[in-house]
Amino acid sequence: MADYAHSIQELIDAFGRLPGIGPKSAQRITFHLLKVDKVESQRLVSAIAAAVEKVRFCSRCFNLAESDLCSICTDPQRDRHVLCVVEEPRDVVAIERTREFKGMYHVLGGAIDHLQGVGPDQLKIRELLGRVSDEGVTEVIVCTNPNIEGEATALYLQRVLDVPGLTVSRIASGLPVGGDLEYADELTLGRAIEGRRVIGGDSRAIAEDVPIHR
Amino acid sequence: MISVRRLHLRNFRSYEELDLELSPGLTAIVGDNGNGKTNLIESIGFLSRLSSFRGASTDALVRVGAEEMVVRGEILCGDREVLIEVEIPRHGRMRVLVNKQRLAKRGDLAEVMTTTVFSPDDLEIVKGGPAGRRQYLDDVLVDVHPKNDAACSDFAKVLRQRNALLKQMSGRRSPEAELTLDVWDHRLTEVGERLAVLRTKIAQQLTPFVDEAYALVSGGLNGGRSDVRLQYVSGWAATGLAEALRDCRVDDIRRGVSTVGPHRDDLALGIGGLPVRTHASQGEQRSMVLALRLASHRLVTAARGEAPVLLLDDVFSELDDRRSVALLSSLPEGQKFLTSASALPTGAVADVTVMINESRATVC
Repeated sequence: MADYAHSIQELIDAFGRLPGIGPKSAQRITFHLLKVDKVESQRLVSAIAAAVEKVRFCSRCFNLAESDLCSICTDPQRDRHVLCVVEEPRDVVAIERTREFKGMYHVLGGAIDHLQGVGPDQLKIRELLGRVSDEGVTEVIVCTNPNIEGEATALYLQRVLDVPGLTVSRIASGLPVGGDLEYADELTLGRAIEGRRVIGGDSRAIAEDVPIHR
Repeated sequence: MISVRRLHLRNFRSYEELDLELSPGLTAIVGDNGNGKTNLIESIGFLSRLSSFRGASTDALVRVGAEEMVVRGEILCGDREVLIEVEIPRHGRMRVLVNKQRLAKRGDLAEVMTTTVFSPDDLEIVKGGPAGRRQYLDDVLVDVHPKNDAACSDFAKVLRQRNALLKQMSGRRSPEAELTLDVWDHRLTEVGERLAVLRTKIAQQLTPFVDEAYALVSGGLNGGRSDVRLQYVSGWAATGLAEALRDCRVDDIRRGVSTVGPHRDDLALGIGGLPVRTHASQGEQRSMVLALRLASHRLVTAARGEAPVLLLDDVFSELDDRRSVALLSSLPEGQKFLTSASALPTGAVADVTVMINESRATVC
């Protein structure tokens, strides 16, 4: 196979290093860019340059921002007493889409994962503790992923956030809305039964072998 | 009952091309050594677990000189017809289709296709270290209920994280690191105790089945009873895992590895009150391994309501004629395959005999 010109190979390799893009896709994107109108590829170049230039981490919550503070941290309408702790900036976007949450965020920058060399010190946990004591926070909602690393991170936060007057809650696990019970996997269904809510009758007479979480 | 009605191989091991209609009963696969008898049942095992029961890498399954191998099985699971197709290119990733749909999760395959395999290598379960016996219990757990796979893999993941942390601490104690260690101890206790409870229960459930199967394959001595015992042994059972982890913490940090937990547990096997590994004869040990596999087949059948496909590789080399006949006459329900280098022992009858000669099959 004939080698590509240096600049082409360089571009293919650069795309190939991106997440979710294999060597074939990298090649396809490169040839597409070289084929289309120059204006089109220039637009991509300047979009990347602008984003790289402008975007940084919010100095308070470590979400992505275009200035020192992100748009959520500067929004006067938000409730400053409630902090939602997430792993990544994309989780902020996911929760924002619900339009259910009106509080503030704190982005950890990952979850505890020693296999990847990430311990509590590599996450923005010290900064979280600082905010809790300085900003009059009354509730922290831990929204890390419900997997091994996310659960361990939640447990770690539960331990270090043992502060008087502060409520620490964990996002619930359960069934997707609009789904069918019969298609749910056992683990999710089990969690959903464990975390069920009383909707009527005598709330004290709940089966003991199936603990209820409030 | 689960059965393979039709098997199609292309470039699997020594088979260039094979298309076989299979009996729902007992099939004897007969032929000289090195002609491909084990390869044939290995391919059936592959349809259920997507890996070789001989521990070979998938790369080794593609016939030498071929670019791609295909294993296709028409399965009947209860009254459900399922077509499982597996393709492995020499370079590239395995593709699994179930009824022409891509398989989403490996575990989903167990819902429609399960096999119980006996192989002469299984002697290691009895004679080797505890790892093989733990693996035996975990395999039975997953076969009995596919969801148990989560209990096994969750434990493995948490253990890996805890060990990675211990390694990073490289022998030094610090309050920050130990706070993180507390978190992993808590999680390891949760998933570890859950796994140990599952293993303990399954060992108890297996015991009567192993006892019965052992009496059968050992020749029906002691009036059908053989006093076989299976006991799951945890070094930390007396204190609970949380306390055991606390007690071992200094040692764990110094050695950089978790020294206590279900990953160090064992399954004690006994006959007549004596440990099989050290006190049983070679023949008794062979009977024991076979009994363990037959018992898991019975237990899985009882639990799932469907008998898995039973694959017995070279089973007669483990038994004398009398025991071979006794085994054959009381094999469990369901579809069964066995391989043998010699003709079946006198008095034994298979529903179908497949002669294998240089990876070509002739049905008799």
